Amino acid sequence: MKNFDYLEPTTIAQACALLKQHGGEAKVFAGGSHLTILMKQGLYQPKALVNIKKIPELKGIKYDAKEGLTIGALVTHRELETSALVKEKFPVLCEAEKEVANIRVRNMGTVGGNLASGEPLTDLSQIFISLDGKAKITGSNGQRIIPVEELFVDFYTTSLGEDEILTQVVLPPLPARSAIEYIRFSSSSVVDKPSAGVAVRLTLETSSEAVQAARIVLGCVGATPVRARRAEGLIMGKKLTLALAEEAGGIASEECSPTSDLRGSEQYKRAIVGTLVKRTASKAYEQALGNA
Amino acid sequence: MMDGIKLDPASQPVKAPAMKKTISLIVNGFQRSVEVEARTTLLDMVREQFGLTGAKLGCDIQVCGACTLLVDGKPVSACSVLAVDADGCEILTVEGLSAKGKFHPLQEAFMEFGALQCGYCTSGFILTAKALLEEYPRPSEQQIRDYLAGNFCRCGCYQEIMQAVKNVAGS
Repeated sequence: MKNFDYLEPTTIAQACALLKQHGGEAKVFAGGSHLTILMKQGLYQPKALVNIKKIPELKGIKYDAKEGLTIGALVTHRELETSALVKEKFPVLCEAEKEVANIRVRNMGTVGGNLASGEPLTDLSQIFISLDGKAKITGSNGQRIIPVEELFVDFYTTSLGEDEILTQVVLPPLPARSAIEYIRFSSSSVVDKPSAGVAVRLTLETSSEAVQAARIVLGCVGATPVRARRAEGLIMGKKLTLALAEEAGGIASEECSPTSDLRGSEQYKRAIVGTLVKRTASKAYEQALGNA
Repeated sequence: MMDGIKLDPASQPVKAPAMKKTISLIVNGFQRSVEVEARTTLLDMVREQFGLTGAKLGCDIQVCGACTLLVDGKPVSACSVLAVDADGCEILTVEGLSAKGKFHPLQEAFMEFGALQCGYCTSGFILTAKALLEEYPRPSEQQIRDYLAGNFCRCGCYQEIMQAVKNVAGS
């Protein structure tokens, strides 16, 4: 690993100023689980690391009935997994986190880093997108809030500017008659990165069993997580039967662009996506019917 | 230097300004202060600067668990943690487990059940198991499996490791 300056700002403003000063030659450092590996491999050779772990505003998880769940960028995977508040409001996150990498990565790796790394083989992003999550971002020119979906541009590339920091993720409260399901599929050991991960969130109409809003988000099968918008359109306004869920799965499997690699061939991953969409959508629909 | 050859001053390796920091941490119960380069990993620091070689470098990408250390009681992959990032933390290596020459119950159990062959993964397994038992004093079999899932033993002593940990946990 090449050496670098190690900077430890204590406010977001200081951190943004340091990033700006280095003009793209500095990297934001939090848990380091992604960054240190790429630096050891020589893929990243930043002149400076801006450690944001001493910035208190970036920590913690809180819930507000109006705004929803706010997750600070520095919250670790393990904190999310074991948080009683998260378990109460969005248990899907705790369940998903149990399968993220291993206990050591979950202890160090942060939610902010997970998103800001632009790593395509991940779980959180598709869940956040299905929940209409927002990313709060601060740069030297102020704050902006974007849908989590708009963070991702390409493999390991996000829409974050050189002097910007992802500060929080906000998940709005789940509407009534809604449910979310997430299933990840790993083709080798349980601690491997997923070969596909599908999140489905459904909201039903108040006076019928028809789907009023659908989010079908496919992860790990392309440069960025993607919403299967045609599959979403198919089930809108309808009752979700198993046949319809299967049809949606078939459409969704064509709405992603998986690459053949050690975690499965392109064809294999498309088949997995189809099955996962069918299963997650069916489970979410059943649950939503039960949620008043 | 060879006779007759003049060294061009410009060709001398230019040393980059040292990006170093002095950090303070508690290592195996002792307060220590040490100067490290920003790029030094926690693993390199404990092995090379403190001579604590129980933790090993394995995969170098946080997969295998051979380099596991406990930082403030939590297992981490020391190969991918920067030493500067551990400033102010409490570090436990396998060398800090035995007290007054007496092995920790996990160490005893690993020997009793033959939970190792080559021993490369052992310090990582024992430290992860220690963290597990601190968090869940009476873990279920599934909890043990989930917690230890990220530590690999290529000799394949998993059954014996499970037996050893279960024995200490009294489950």
